[in-house]
Amino acid sequence: MSDTRFRGRLFGPGLPGSGAPATGRWSDGGSLQVAEEGAAGRLLQADHPAVDAAGFNASSLRISWQGEDGAYAFIIEAESERTICCAAAPAAANRHLAEAAGVTTRLERRFRFGAVLLGLILILPLFGIGLFLGNSDRVADWVVKRISTEHEAQLGELILAQTRLQMKVVDRGPAVEAISAIGSRLTTGSVHRYRWFVADRPDINAFAAPGGVVVVYSGLIRTAGSAEELAGVLTHEIAHAELRHTLRGVIKSLGLHALAALVIGDVSGSVFAETATRLTELRFSRDAEREADAEGLRRLVAAHIDPAGMIGFYEKLAAEQRLSPPAILSTHPATGERLESLRQEVSLQKGKWQPLPVDIQSIKNSFK
Amino acid sequence: MAMDVIDYEIFGSEMQYVEVELDPGESAVGEAGGMMYMQDGIQMDTVFGDGSQQQGGFMGKLMGAGKRLLTGESLFTTVFHNESNGKRRVAFAAPYPGKIIPVHLTDIGGTLICQKDSFLCAAKGVSLGIAFQKKLGVGLFGGEGFIMQKLDGDGMAFVHAGGTLKEMVLAPGESLRVDTGCVVAFQPSVDFDIQFVGKIKSAVFGGEGFFYATLTGPGRVWLQSLPLSRLANRIILSAPAAGGRSVGQGSLLGAGVLGGILGSDE
Repeated sequence: MSDTRFRGRLFGPGLPGSGAPATGRWSDGGSLQVAEEGAAGRLLQADHPAVDAAGFNASSLRISWQGEDGAYAFIIEAESERTICCAAAPAAANRHLAEAAGVTTRLERRFRFGAVLLGLILILPLFGIGLFLGNSDRVADWVVKRISTEHEAQLGELILAQTRLQMKVVDRGPAVEAISAIGSRLTTGSVHRYRWFVADRPDINAFAAPGGVVVVYSGLIRTAGSAEELAGVLTHEIAHAELRHTLRGVIKSLGLHALAALVIGDVSGSVFAETATRLTELRFSRDAEREADAEGLRRLVAAHIDPAGMIGFYEKLAAEQRLSPPAILSTHPATGERLESLRQEVSLQKGKWQPLPVDIQSIKNSFK
Repeated sequence: MAMDVIDYEIFGSEMQYVEVELDPGESAVGEAGGMMYMQDGIQMDTVFGDGSQQQGGFMGKLMGAGKRLLTGESLFTTVFHNESNGKRRVAFAAPYPGKIIPVHLTDIGGTLICQKDSFLCAAKGVSLGIAFQKKLGVGLFGGEGFIMQKLDGDGMAFVHAGGTLKEMVLAPGESLRVDTGCVVAFQPSVDFDIQFVGKIKSAVFGGEGFFYATLTGPGRVWLQSLPLSRLANRIILSAPAAGGRSVGQGSLLGAGVLGGILGSDE
């Protein structure tokens, strides 16, 4: 008879429903003696009891047997007591005890595996976003290369349709003709079929959607002092379109939306429409702006248009900014530094400039 | 560990509150926001964590608070301390229709596993911990989720349940099949598992879902007849603001146009 005792709770007929504290000890033959605590406690003897893992999370050891008056169970919950019980167990009970311990361990292992898996599933989209943010330029480049000119034109059409909903856009009249005349000189040899529009808005703004849709706000034309200044803005916007900056912006924004939707569910009804709507407010990076400046200047020079107009307009914007920032500046931050570098570039350009056959004053008058 | 012994009285039938009597120097902990009234001489103190004073140090407290956050409860608990010379009373109210279960933790071996956010109040010294449901199937389909609350100590604890309460004693090996979501609390000796309803037809059309929760004895279990989520679901469904209709008591007329005219008070 082993003298090692272990504490647990005894359940069975005649005992409280929530069990009574008791101590147990193994005898050499593989039977268990359980003594209920207290003066009037009963002493029970179980020959060949069944042993298994039970209870919440199978973390308790259950030694159960069929007594004369019903089923009894001795539950050992505390880990220290379970260890004592296992150490003192006779050979006959060892196998069952090991099995019970195995059940508990397996459950624990599966839970950990599940928790890790769940953690990974939760982290994966975040990881994806991180990866995308880190490589968004490369990803956007890769995608942009695979978009055909036709698709780009379709996207431009969509943006134009969205713009029409928000403001009055005209596609004929003296202003459109003038812009078209300047623009076609700047876009000779382009793969896109350019179309020119004037929006009736007081803001000083203009944007080029993918696929050759260029929209100039009437406020910008009013501000322009000469046709060359108008050409300076146009060439910048055309450069954005030719360099596919807008398209890249759309792709970046779409990709981000798609990933965000993956993480937090559908953000809005139609991600695409929203992106298209907000396109006019799309911000380009500083590098993209500088790139557009350089490309725009190159186009101006190639078209024999005096690039001084570009500088002139930027200076006008800078002056305007001091009073109240024009809309175009929120999307096209012509910082002093950029203006300075542009001035230097322009001063290097020597060429024979051909005056533009456009009377800006008569266009301005046509708005009345 | 010295627990505060508290006397209590439960008032009300379907929407209950428990009034706890504190001897001079005794304390009770309550869920933040659960207090209904308290007499003069009781000092209220908000503590970070569960106020059981078992975990020492700042990190221990932080851990305790973090665990409470996981169970969907407030980071803080409120301790009510009787600083007067006489007996004083403080009451805690259950936040939704149902019953308050008084449990003397000593009687059941010191530990009670209960549904998360069912805790109402307890004698100071009872520790409010969490117990992860480690059986993945039970966590997913058992209706109580992966996180359960564990009350440890040897004093009184009060938890509340929705609807009518059923306390049952399961004999060794006796098992009970319960609708998922209806299990409120049980002794740790009880085996909590799930079982497939058995037939695809019942699973799809039976309306009881795909699984039962099974509780296997020995031990004491507490079941609720109306989980709060079920009640909330029915209320939302019938709320006119959420597109519900004002339906009469099963009357054909009441449910139709007439009901709409007569029943509308807007």
